[in-house]
Amino acid sequence: MILVQMMRWTSLLPVLIILSSLIPALLIFATPENAARRRTILNLGGIVIKLCLVLLMLLGVSQGLRFRFEVDFLPGASLVLQGDALSLQFVTLSSILWLATTIYAIGYLQKSQLKSRFFGYFSLCVSATVGIALSGNLITFLLFFELLTLATFPLVVHRGTDAALKAGRLYLVYTLSGGTLLLMGVALLHSITGTSDFIPGGYVSGAVEENRFALMAAFALMIVGLGVKAALFPLHGWLPRAMVAPAPVSALLHAVAVVKAGAFGIIRVVYDVFGVETGIALGLTPVLMLAAAFTILYGSIQALRQTDIKRRLAFSTVSQVSYITLGVAMAGPTAAIGAVVHLVHQGLMKITLFFCAGNMAETLGIHRIQEMDGLGKRMPLTMSAFTVGALGMIGVPPIAGFFSKWYLGLGALESGNDAMLAVLIGSSILNAMYFMPLIYRGWFAQPPTAGWPEDNFKKSRFETHWMMLLPPLFTALLSLLAGIFAGSLASPLGWTEFIISQEFAL
Amino acid sequence: MNDALLSLVTPLVAALIVLTGPAMTPRRASVVVLLGSALSFAAALLALQTVTASGATQTLNLGGWEDGLAIRLRLSPLSALLLAFTALIHLLAGLYARFSRFASGDDFWVLSAFLHTALAALWLSADLFNLYITLELIGLAAVAMVALSGPKAYQAAADYLLLSLAASMIYLLGVVFLYSEYHTLDVMQLASVSADSARTRLALALITAGLMLKGALWPLHLWLPAAHAGAPAAVSALLSAVVVKGPLFILWLVWTEVAPADLAREVGPMVATAGMIALVAGGWAAMRSPYIKVLVAYSTVAQLGYALMALGLLMSWQIPQMHIALWLFVIAHGLAKASLFMAAGEMQGTLGTRRLTGLRGATQTVPIAMFAFAVAGGSLIGLPPSGGFLAKWVLLEPILSQPQNWPWAFGILLGTLVSAAYIFRVVVLAFDRATINPPDTRPHLMGHWLALLPALIVWGMALLGEQLIGLLAGGGV
Repeated sequence: MILVQMMRWTSLLPVLIILSSLIPALLIFATPENAARRRTILNLGGIVIKLCLVLLMLLGVSQGLRFRFEVDFLPGASLVLQGDALSLQFVTLSSILWLATTIYAIGYLQKSQLKSRFFGYFSLCVSATVGIALSGNLITFLLFFELLTLATFPLVVHRGTDAALKAGRLYLVYTLSGGTLLLMGVALLHSITGTSDFIPGGYVSGAVEENRFALMAAFALMIVGLGVKAALFPLHGWLPRAMVAPAPVSALLHAVAVVKAGAFGIIRVVYDVFGVETGIALGLTPVLMLAAAFTILYGSIQALRQTDIKRRLAFSTVSQVSYITLGVAMAGPTAAIGAVVHLVHQGLMKITLFFCAGNMAETLGIHRIQEMDGLGKRMPLTMSAFTVGALGMIGVPPIAGFFSKWYLGLGALESGNDAMLAVLIGSSILNAMYFMPLIYRGWFAQPPTAGWPEDNFKKSRFETHWMMLLPPLFTALLSLLAGIFAGSLASPLGWTEFIISQEFAL
Repeated sequence: MNDALLSLVTPLVAALIVLTGPAMTPRRASVVVLLGSALSFAAALLALQTVTASGATQTLNLGGWEDGLAIRLRLSPLSALLLAFTALIHLLAGLYARFSRFASGDDFWVLSAFLHTALAALWLSADLFNLYITLELIGLAAVAMVALSGPKAYQAAADYLLLSLAASMIYLLGVVFLYSEYHTLDVMQLASVSADSARTRLALALITAGLMLKGALWPLHLWLPAAHAGAPAAVSALLSAVVVKGPLFILWLVWTEVAPADLAREVGPMVATAGMIALVAGGWAAMRSPYIKVLVAYSTVAQLGYALMALGLLMSWQIPQMHIALWLFVIAHGLAKASLFMAAGEMQGTLGTRRLTGLRGATQTVPIAMFAFAVAGGSLIGLPPSGGFLAKWVLLEPILSQPQNWPWAFGILLGTLVSAAYIFRVVVLAFDRATINPPDTRPHLMGHWLALLPALIVWGMALLGEQLIGLLAGGGV
């Protein structure tokens, strides 16, 4: 069977997309520490190939082609890779952000050791993420989900200090426990309904009558397992602590891979395993909605209490990723558009913010919010990108974040969850309260008379190393473009409408 | 059947050549024994192919005597699989012992070949007395191999010897009771006549106790950590990977064939509970251990808990999935554990410490051995798509399909978490860059790669998942 599939390029393409970062990962592990050029070529070469392959698949899917690869694994559950509209949304996002983050990381890590190990695991993480996105059933999803945990751990503890190891331990406790619960949920569901491919509308509706309780248990196990990565309250504890990792890793955790994998999994489970109608029939979606709403407000309030920039951003992620869960749980098509598009929008904006925070820390030694006074004069470009990201998070048009919130709000009204509109508005006010001071300090406060805590890259042509400056500008520009061109099919919003029209059979 | 006999005889011939051959240096001995293992492996694969193709169990009465008198050998798909598994583990451990810089002792070769023969005979025996003989042979070879570490292991070896003999005696006593009741010791004949009587119960209790002591099954496992941790790495690998599985095999044979089905159904939950406790208690002990090899040895106690659980549930539910799960665990654990012990041995030797804290910074100082440790550990935890995952999945499915069985699933959940805790306890230490423990000598890469090999094979089991399950799905023997 494998041989037959090798002949068809539509079967081969999902595999090639994963291999395009997996093979570079293995080669990078074998690269000597001082062979920086070879490492860069491997990194960028892999990305370019991946982007071309993804583009090819995007074209194919928009023309109605099906991409599917299958190998035998467990009885009644093969390993399946397939490219549908939803998986491509995530694949495209993580591939583009991988490009930005890799360039950033090359600049960021120039003086650090163990770069081969770092970039090897980094590429492995991206392979796992793309695998998650392309997974065609729950078993395959589980496999890549666990791989992602294992591949991110060495990055979280990269600095190898006591604090890093503590954070790494905590990360493992949370994510491995979550993975085990997810496994239990998947196995339980498999024993009831078997494991078929993800399909819009789900495949469990036939079993609702007889196995009501078992289905609810399976759903709870899976959501809790995924919720750990999606940082759903009270499972979010690892995320702020993991901030000890280097800035590119934070970007990876918050925007490219980890929390996104959790949120993406929740989308899959609700839409393509249980189906919205079964979810409502079992009374599951309202519970999920309340959990998400609480997390949104809780994360925002916690963010407000932080004085450290990265920690404030981390709690902001806790809050923002739950927008996705909230939109999914509201179980209506409009809210679903808001949810799925936020997967992309949040990624673009949050990665911008983390890149900027990393630039501030590396260039001027700025870690706390008070230290940002007058930053705009010394680092205008970084501060501009930061402003775009922050305003987008608050929901100011025409930045991408506005459109997520707009559709989520409309969806709340449409699905009759008016209270959720209040949550969204409340959260936006809180967003403004915790982001505006940073913007104000950066642009309008006076720089410290005693000078900056550090001052690196003074001889550089730009305000900081160009490889660290370019990525945030690029992602900030993308979050603007995603908003401005929201009406076209090539924008995340346009593509999301295409996805949702399939999910809800509109 | 001929292939199976060949697989049994080749290690014996290798041992005899090593013993009697002229000018037999350890180097030549290693070549002979490795060749023997390789041949035995090939023969076992052929046997596996024929027996699955014919689909029937084959028997052979040695010397042409009639049933009951003759030494009867029996080849089923399971015993062929175990033959291949044993030969493979011996091959891998032998390769490691040959190329690693850390010596396993000159007598390793002849002893491991004898051990291999005895194990092969065990898988093929179908008579409780013959099984006793093979058990004794295995025990003696294993004790001698523990003593290969030199004087510091003599205490552990002596304890192992005494317990092993005591266990055999208890087992033999049970066998005598059975004989006095039924006048036969042939498993297939016993299966047709056995009934639930007080004497049968007593006999089965004695047999079970003896086997559990020999197989280090909870709660009779206390001798195992000292013996397995004290032996040279290649020997520890053999002991944990295959030797403790021998008694388990007999236990399975006795309870699924000899014991009356109703009695097995009654005892099953107790066995499964013991397995669940083993899983958690063994894992806990591994988590608390300050020494690398003791941690790995306690993890054997814990992992045998999975097998015991599968056996107990097989006895009480009598469904084929549990049979599959049991033997998948045995194979996956064997490969993973071989890798763990070899990696632990390499790291200990290179870093010059037996303590866990000595592994600080091991990802930089001994990266390949540490990687082997983590990869093998992943299979013990049951991360997909490893062999450990395959086994756990097969075990979970029937448990989860009935809500009243969910407490067992909770046991597996706990077991998984504890395994993750003790494996990652080591991995986290290895990523410490602040206080690196510098190696005493330059790492010897060949040994490290050979330690990784079994771990890669166990992860490759996923590719053979459906075949293995199909092979074992034939049910009993």
